[in-house]
Amino acid sequence: MSTSRHYERNQVASGAMDHEQAGEVSRRAVLAGTVAATAAAAVLPVAGSAYAQGVDPSSKPDMMAFLLLSAALTGVHVITLAPEFSIDPKKTDILDQDPGVDPINVKNDYFKWLNAHDAATFGKLLQIAKDHRQSAAEIIAAVNAGDDTKFLARSIALLWYLGSWYKPADLQKNSAPGKRALIDSQVVSAKAYTQGLVWQIVQAHPMGYSNLQFGYWSREPVDPNDQNSRSDFGFITQTIP
Amino acid sequence: MADNNNCIKCDVAIVGSGFAGALIANELSQKGISVVILEAGPGVQPNINDAMKRFYNAAVKVPESAYPPELFAAPEKLAAGRPTSASLGATSWNDPKQSYFVQKGPRPFTSTYERVAGGTSHWLGTSLRFVPRDFTMKTSYGKNAPDFPFPDWPKAITSQSLSSCYARAETELGVSADVKEQSFLGIDFSKDYTYPMPRIPPSLIDQRIGQALANLTDDETKFLAMDKPVTEIKVRSLPAARNSQPYRNRRACAGNTNCIPICPIQAKYDPTITLNEATDRGAKLIDHAVASEIIVENERVSQINYITYKEEAGPKTGEGCVKARIYVIAANAIETPRLLLMSKNKGRTANGVANSSDMVGRHLMDHPYYVAWALLPPTARPVFPYRGPLITSGIGDLCDGPFRAKRAAFRVDIGNEGWNYVIAGSAFGDDPHLTTIDFVNGMNSGGLNAKEFNQFGKDNVTLFGAELAHKLNDLISRQFRIGFLIEQTPDPSNRVTLSSEFTDALGLPRPEISYDLSEYTRQGFVAAFRMRKLIFDKMGATDFTHRAPDPSIGSPGSFQEMIDGKTVTLTYGGAGHIMGTYRMGDNPRTSVVDSFQRSHDHNNLYLVGSGTFPTGGTANPTLTLSALALRTADSIAGDLKTRG
Repeated sequence: MSTSRHYERNQVASGAMDHEQAGEVSRRAVLAGTVAATAAAAVLPVAGSAYAQGVDPSSKPDMMAFLLLSAALTGVHVITLAPEFSIDPKKTDILDQDPGVDPINVKNDYFKWLNAHDAATFGKLLQIAKDHRQSAAEIIAAVNAGDDTKFLARSIALLWYLGSWYKPADLQKNSAPGKRALIDSQVVSAKAYTQGLVWQIVQAHPMGYSNLQFGYWSREPVDPNDQNSRSDFGFITQTIP
Repeated sequence: MADNNNCIKCDVAIVGSGFAGALIANELSQKGISVVILEAGPGVQPNINDAMKRFYNAAVKVPESAYPPELFAAPEKLAAGRPTSASLGATSWNDPKQSYFVQKGPRPFTSTYERVAGGTSHWLGTSLRFVPRDFTMKTSYGKNAPDFPFPDWPKAITSQSLSSCYARAETELGVSADVKEQSFLGIDFSKDYTYPMPRIPPSLIDQRIGQALANLTDDETKFLAMDKPVTEIKVRSLPAARNSQPYRNRRACAGNTNCIPICPIQAKYDPTITLNEATDRGAKLIDHAVASEIIVENERVSQINYITYKEEAGPKTGEGCVKARIYVIAANAIETPRLLLMSKNKGRTANGVANSSDMVGRHLMDHPYYVAWALLPPTARPVFPYRGPLITSGIGDLCDGPFRAKRAAFRVDIGNEGWNYVIAGSAFGDDPHLTTIDFVNGMNSGGLNAKEFNQFGKDNVTLFGAELAHKLNDLISRQFRIGFLIEQTPDPSNRVTLSSEFTDALGLPRPEISYDLSEYTRQGFVAAFRMRKLIFDKMGATDFTHRAPDPSIGSPGSFQEMIDGKTVTLTYGGAGHIMGTYRMGDNPRTSVVDSFQRSHDHNNLYLVGSGTFPTGGTANPTLTLSALALRTADSIAGDLKTRG
């Protein structure tokens, strides 16, 4: 057996900590440049009160803010959350980038779902993402500063990971450290179930939804898109996007 | 009542369209015999898309999730109700308002079944033959013990005599396995036999457990009380009705990890395949038709009456009847005795049809299923669960030996689905959901969010981002679980009767169940407990089974035993292997059917399915009941020929 990603993971993880050293060159280098440029300009083009007017999934800055928030909470690259996302190097602010429209487009479903559930808190979260778009750690710190944003953020992480909706209030009710409880949930849609990220994160596939071929289970997982480095962890990031 | 003059007429009437019913219908239809099948539930769907959607959208993913009726409907409001996993909780199992079964205890009966065309489509696909001494328990292990609880099977049924029927069943179901690997404990294969397809390859965890058990000492294994010292325990691929290459126009398995409840590409055989062939050949399937009485005149069955409905919740929309020359009841080991007992013929058969022996409904058996789950150490290579068919290998070599004089045999399953449904004794939901919630919300339902496992130096951490992703990968990729299928004694007091109080939406009495585990059966758990320890110790794995919460929160199927001076709680679930309730035997006073599964009382009535098993062994019953169904089909065709 050759190298398992078990060992490579350490490399990736430490790379993620210090993202200049992360092996994932192209996209991340470009984005790092973009973010640095934005930060240097120190311009925040969207007013802090944007959420008060409501957020809109068809607004690129709002959707980009949602993707930045989601990438920070899930640790998964924007490109995985929004497969048609592409970078226009002429645009210096990440919020001006195009989130793209993909055939599955689960991001739009989730955006609408969250907006329908609690537009005010969701708006606050998007504003946090806009205000701290240069750093996942800062987004997480700001999200954790208030209970309303913290528990909705947890619901959002679970939504992306599992495709199921766990109400923030239910999470809050069961948040005592070490609590053991069954928390009610609702599968958002069949599509949401099959797009759950946790399955990819554990290098498996949603039960009942696999694109793999006969016999794969007798071998260690290898990312078919990344044969050479065997780094199927490439989609996890500690930085954004 | 139905107008008897307008009954549907045919050669053979079959109640139930699952494995046994579909196989018999197809065999007879091929011979040009006219067949009518009554199915209590919905008919065969044009494709499986609705079932997949139903499964994906189900918040609770249990074996019933892909199939109607509505999972949480009150059982008195269902026309064709069913037992469900969801009604096996600590407070629901014996509450007839929630549970279709009216359970009288003392212990819960924890297996379920479906009532839809095709019956047991939600099976795993495991297609094991019985080992020879499974058929001769009394002769082999209890000759001189008058109270030995196991009888022999009829003399005509032996490993050897059934070998050709097994082979036919393996062809029909499409079994993937390797003859050499399956030749252990004396299983009979005819010379030069090959399975229809090569074996299903073992998963990473199968391989790992095989390595861990390759070198053992006598001392470590003496608790097994085998006839010879055991220094190696083999992990073998399980024969499975799951395509390892394209077979009969169905694809090879793509490892969707979803055999139960439904294979999304139908690489796993299910009875709708044979049922469709039968109906293509002219067999008539009547769905939404619940058989309500078997009419007996002059010792022979003359008619079966049924009730029709349209909506899941009823009500009854009509009645019908079918007249045939031969009748087959293939409605599983609970619904078959229920129908026999309901058929009182205005008092002429007050004790039920085919029941002069008073054995109908008795000797209810399952393979009580004891699961254990553990985590490999951080230094071990991950085994990457949630990949491949749900189970690919097991340990069968320990299921027969002199110990069977004293304690129950077991067979070991190795799961490929991590802690999916076993985590925390399934009290709080499934994995990977549960562990994800634990780390997002600082909880510890599953047991992994403790400093000794999360390696953050503190308990109950809350994580977001890459830390969360890496932690879940690290922990979940090291999960595994094993399960023990334990042989159960056929006890006359473990039985199905009719509830005098509770009915379904058609007004028919619901099954009432009494169930217990004998000392002999419980001693099988004790041996399984020791086997679990041996496996986990050899792998350096940390056992999480004992971290399950008090069973009063989750599954009520638990009991305590003293093992090596310590009180140990052992919990069982159902294997879905419902057996024994109309046993076959050579003596009409102690059995219900003969070796052809023909009623001793009524010679034009056959009762098929695993309800005829006098003893259950440890093999999943499907292949054996299929082999017996094919033998019965031959007998029925012979009957029709002789009588013109």
